[in-house]
Amino acid sequence: MTSVPGTVSSILLLLLVECAARPFYPLPSRRNDRSKQPLQTFRPYNIAHRGSSGEFPEETASAYKRAIEEGADFIETDILASKDGILICFHDLTLDATTDIAQHKKFESRKRTYEVQGKNITGYFTIDFTLEELKSLRVNQRSPFRDQQYNGKFSIIIFEDFISIALGAPRVVGIYPEIKNPVFINQHVKWPIGKKFEDKFVDTLKKYGYKGTYLSKQWLKQPAFIQSFAPTSLIYISHLTDLPKILLIDDATTPTQDTNQSYWEITSNSYFDFIKDYVVGIGPWKDSIVPASNNYLQTPTDLVTRSHAYNLQVHPFTCRNENVFLHFNFSQDPYNEYDYWIKKIGVDGLFTDFTGSLHHYQEWTNPFSMGEESASKLLDKIAYMISKFRNSYN
Amino acid sequence: MFELTVILKQPKQKSRIGAAKGRDSMASALAGLVPLSFLLLLVGCASRPLYPLPGKRYDASKKPLQTFRPYNLAHRGSNGEFPEETAAAYMRAIEEGADFIEGDVLASKDGVLIMQHDVTLDDTTDIAEHKEFANRKRTCNVQGTNTTGFFHFDFTLEELKSLGVKQRYPFRDQQYNGKFPIITFKEFISIALDAPRVVGIYPEIKNPAMVNQYVKWPGGKKFEDKFVETLHKYGYRGEYMSKQWLKQPAFIQSFAPTSLIYVSNLTDLPKVFLIDDITIPTQDTNQSYWEVTSDKYLNFIKNYVMGIGPWKDTIVYVSENYLQPPTDLVARAHALNLQVHPYTYRNENQFLHFNFSQDPYKEYDYWINTIGVDGLFTDFTGSLHQYQEWTTPSPSGEKSATKLLDKIGSMISKYRNPQT
Repeated sequence: MTSVPGTVSSILLLLLVECAARPFYPLPSRRNDRSKQPLQTFRPYNIAHRGSSGEFPEETASAYKRAIEEGADFIETDILASKDGILICFHDLTLDATTDIAQHKKFESRKRTYEVQGKNITGYFTIDFTLEELKSLRVNQRSPFRDQQYNGKFSIIIFEDFISIALGAPRVVGIYPEIKNPVFINQHVKWPIGKKFEDKFVDTLKKYGYKGTYLSKQWLKQPAFIQSFAPTSLIYISHLTDLPKILLIDDATTPTQDTNQSYWEITSNSYFDFIKDYVVGIGPWKDSIVPASNNYLQTPTDLVTRSHAYNLQVHPFTCRNENVFLHFNFSQDPYNEYDYWIKKIGVDGLFTDFTGSLHHYQEWTNPFSMGEESASKLLDKIAYMISKFRNSYN
Repeated sequence: MFELTVILKQPKQKSRIGAAKGRDSMASALAGLVPLSFLLLLVGCASRPLYPLPGKRYDASKKPLQTFRPYNLAHRGSNGEFPEETAAAYMRAIEEGADFIEGDVLASKDGVLIMQHDVTLDDTTDIAEHKEFANRKRTCNVQGTNTTGFFHFDFTLEELKSLGVKQRYPFRDQQYNGKFPIITFKEFISIALDAPRVVGIYPEIKNPAMVNQYVKWPGGKKFEDKFVETLHKYGYRGEYMSKQWLKQPAFIQSFAPTSLIYVSNLTDLPKVFLIDDITIPTQDTNQSYWEVTSDKYLNFIKNYVMGIGPWKDTIVYVSENYLQPPTDLVARAHALNLQVHPYTYRNENQFLHFNFSQDPYKEYDYWINTIGVDGLFTDFTGSLHQYQEWTTPSPSGEKSATKLLDKIGSMISKYRNPQT
């Protein structure tokens, strides 16, 4: 009989060694980054607006996974907060338009009216529900003319889930989160030790390793843009992270929610000169870059030219396939719209509800070549061209 | 011709200046000039013009019809952008790259063949604003349904020409409403022949039973006779892919098999048998969809037509706006060497099944690459052309080689200049 304590200690030792050892098959999100296909940086960014929201209910895990599948460079989201201070991916301050809140009788009494950017809004506000309560809801497709088959199937996700989806992708996919309605959030949600919404936002990014200036080595491993309509939030977080930031600009009638500055002021040269020290680009509403009249495009403004002169990128929002959103110049063809913005106006990125369509457009007109793969692809193409000629003489 | 006018002008000037003195001598000189001018006139008219009109340009200089990828059939012209079947819609389609311009032929009261889809004028013209025609409204039986409206065969060509065509769909561009007239079959043909490259025509013998019922032609001629006569007059002839056909390509289409069989005795131009929805029998032979798509029938009709034109939702059924598994219609048609040209493709999302993610190019991709059709009727010629050029571009020898070099050049340069 060998000594039992001796066997036990050697077993314990082995256990220790086993746990310390690196797993042979790392989880996808812990894969060595060098094996992942890197972010493309040679053509305008395909930014999946709320995920593939043209096909799936917005800002759900499915919408984001679909966007990654379809070739998104960045997946985009809006960050708000629950009553108990958890950062969630959700666009509207109210749950009415995109969830089945109306079917949850137990929450009926939560309906409230708040003042938001000068207007009184009535509904079920995210800030009045804990995360657990929000998780009991189901997300619906906002637009009635889009696929309704996933209504009631998916739940709201949190900022950390969103990040995991990006990091879990088989290639490098960037994130594009928005500090949404920070004035309102900070008014109604409090975090311990005096932390603000913006602090928690950046904390989450840091926790998952997001850092680095635009196009730096670290940034290219985990690309991210931080966007917001509130310049003070962007300036505030510039002290917390060097990640690139984008100033979103609403239409010409809406002033900034925090500084109450007009569209004309924040798109002036002097403002660009000031804000360029904090942001790498702007995200304007596309109809303010090129106004439309009777559903026809007018002469473009000089907004893009001036931004580019200050070395500011331009990522307009939002491109959508449905003809109700397309000006007549585009002949009801979303690809003509992409072509206009990319070739004629020369933007640096596009927020689109239809990641797949933009990806197709870019692959067909400006494909990503990868050396050997491209050469054999070319040979295939030539063979195909010849074969078609041969068949036509039958 | 201009030499003649110079000669004619000179005597006039002379007579004005030396009117009183030289009138007698001038008269005798003129008498001699008259036979000379007649001779020159004869020679002038007989000679070939130095600069031929585009429509009479020598065919060898025109870029030929492409035959290596499915045909881009401009359904009623570019009617996604312009009111349907107008000159503007057809010219726009040619501009956008159509292989064929398609149109429906009906007839006016006085027997002129016109381009018009509906038997009534209500939906696509401003007839309602023409008070002078208010009393022409009537009710007729159209393929079993009582329809009330202003019928094309109750108006002479002159009266039809006084109307303005409008865009049928309210969600399309309305800015051209009332600006363009209805055109005749001959005008449609001229537009095709006048194009800077070879553009085919795809006219339909539309509602022949009804047209023959209400419109009579002299000499006992029928609608189908006049239809083929017009094609012959403009030189359209030849079997599919023959040398003559390639110079002036044409497909004759109809929902009425007897009309197609009838015209097969008059012309060897290729014909296409249109097939309506599964609930609608043929207007002339009252045969069901199932009968006319059976192997037996296809085996019979293939002696007269070289293809079929079905409604796309009968090739691949739809449930809750999602595609179901495809039927075997295309496979069976192809087995009998019949081409398939489905109708109709439209960009607007209300016409797109959810599989296509509101993307018309995805629909083109499905029908061309997954189903494998031979031609597509589309309201958006430009979009189909763009899709085809991006995915299966026309090879053009030297031009293609330099294009490839450009492409390689731009690929390399992009690597050198990443976004800063």
